[in-house]
Amino acid sequence: MAVVEVENVTRVYEEKGQAPSPALRGVSLLVEKGEFMALAGPSGSGKTTLLNLIGGLDAVTSGEVRIDGRALGKLSRPDLADLRRDRIGFVFQAYNLVPVLTAAENAAYVLELKGVPAGERRAKVKAVFERLGLGAFLDTRPMKMSGGQQQRVAVARAIVSEPAVVLADEPTANLDQATGAALMDLMRELNRERGITFIFSTHDPMVLSRADRVVRLVDGLVVAT
Amino acid sequence: MSGALLLGWRNIWRNRRRTFISMSAIGVGLLLVIFYSGLVGGLLGEAKSQLDDGGMGHVEVFARGFRGKHDVAAVMRDVAAWRAGLALPARSEVGARVLARGLATSARGNEAVQVFGVDWADEATLSAHLRQLRLGALPGSDDVHGVLVGEQLAERLGLKVGSKVRLMVQRADAEMGADLFRVRGVFHSIAPTIGQRQVYVSSAAAQELLGVPGAAHQLVIQLEDPAQADAVAASLKARLGDDYEVLTWAELLPVLKRMDAMMNGVIFGLATFVYLLVGLGVLNTMLMSVLERTREFGVLMALGTRPSRVMQVVLAESFWIATLSVVLGASLGALLSWQFSKTGFQLGTGGESMQLEGATLSTLVKTRFNPTDVFRAAGFVYAMALIVGLYPASRITRLQPAEALRRS
Repeated sequence: MAVVEVENVTRVYEEKGQAPSPALRGVSLLVEKGEFMALAGPSGSGKTTLLNLIGGLDAVTSGEVRIDGRALGKLSRPDLADLRRDRIGFVFQAYNLVPVLTAAENAAYVLELKGVPAGERRAKVKAVFERLGLGAFLDTRPMKMSGGQQQRVAVARAIVSEPAVVLADEPTANLDQATGAALMDLMRELNRERGITFIFSTHDPMVLSRADRVVRLVDGLVVAT
Repeated sequence: MSGALLLGWRNIWRNRRRTFISMSAIGVGLLLVIFYSGLVGGLLGEAKSQLDDGGMGHVEVFARGFRGKHDVAAVMRDVAAWRAGLALPARSEVGARVLARGLATSARGNEAVQVFGVDWADEATLSAHLRQLRLGALPGSDDVHGVLVGEQLAERLGLKVGSKVRLMVQRADAEMGADLFRVRGVFHSIAPTIGQRQVYVSSAAAQELLGVPGAAHQLVIQLEDPAQADAVAASLKARLGDDYEVLTWAELLPVLKRMDAMMNGVIFGLATFVYLLVGLGVLNTMLMSVLERTREFGVLMALGTRPSRVMQVVLAESFWIATLSVVLGASLGALLSWQFSKTGFQLGTGGESMQLEGATLSTLVKTRFNPTDVFRAAGFVYAMALIVGLYPASRITRLQPAEALRRS
């Protein structure tokens, strides 16, 4: 069963005084539950745009994106926010942790949005942190952590609410090779243990080598899958 | 603490200097409004209390025809009997007076005076200067030839306690009336004209002198709350009818009423200006703070934060800035206002009083510490902060999360 359905999607950016810039040109894609899939391609090929559209962070110019069969284009902004909260986890290239929150508070943020009681939040986050080797960093602020540690906190934030799909935009780009490899191994293990679908964009061969499937984009078109 | 409030609280400390500057600017504005309200309130309160100290009433009753022509034959009969039946607010102070213009003569010379025939006990509650005798004491109730004079008159006529002074007035029957009195006390008034012109005798002596037995010219009513003057006057007019003239302090001293309106206008203008500055200060802080974190708000939205919750987070920051400013400004403003309500604030350098179109004001103004002023000012700051916080919040929530994430 497809968790993510992308159907003939285009996305054209239009800036005042500039010619329209197509980022995606009729992309179609099906992602099955439990896949560990990579979007590959050079810079500007449309990887991030496609991830944003799948995550409901941006609106398609034409076509349709469905998550669990729900068409994102038909959802209101609050409903779209609820869908992201309940079904999608995000890992960003630059970690994007909230600096005024501790590592545990960052990871628990989505649970708080879902109304999970504080005690239960703490227990869930603690369990995930232990699993990711972050047990000693629950109350540490992100600024006091290394890049690899911060990215693991970001992964913890993405998976702690047990989403259907985790979207990771170049998750290893700011990490050294060894740390990046360890992170990919970790995500792979979570994919196998919990059945979480992972879609990540990258142009790192090490990352690509770990994917079950690689979808290649060039100039906004899928050229290989 | 809710998530939005916690996040808002921590966010305002990300740039401590900016928060302190905003907080200080808003706090100082608030302090100014509170202190100035207290000062003006104190000045007006002082002016109104000087009515009391000078022996004026918040409401005064005359027999029709007395005022203007100063016709001593226009008297109110049996005042003692009907004043007891007046339904006045609790803790009102009331006194009847017999009034006359005349001449005081001593061995040294003559001075034009205003003769007040009073009940000593009533008058001591009405006129502050009778409670501040520099020499001597109030005459006893059976002392029909005792007189109190002011310091200035005593000096001019060379009077001391025990001195004789002759008072001469025009009687109600148009004849001249005169009698010899003995000085029992010398009072001090901050108003030199009072000390120079007013002399006090017993009402019985004044009635005898003027030939108006059992009558009075003026009924003076001082109220606990001067704001009740209009209602009390209306009630008295309805009860007493057209033979009496009932006037409020605002009608007796219209300049004070104008001053009241003007001062309130100035407070309103100042407060509007300060609240406008408060609004701009919060807006500037919040715009800088929020827009430089657009990407972070994009992350929060990506994680599933609804636009309404993003708005709550931004408004929480406004709320905290307002709270800190209010704590700082209101506490300092209240403290300053309270301190000067005890010690007073000296206006100018010369003399203990100043004249304002008939009203005598002390140059030592005590601020009026009114908690309502503090709460009202604080409420305006909160309202302004939350209203202007809506603008940066709406700018963020209008963005698509992806667009917010692209911004650095």
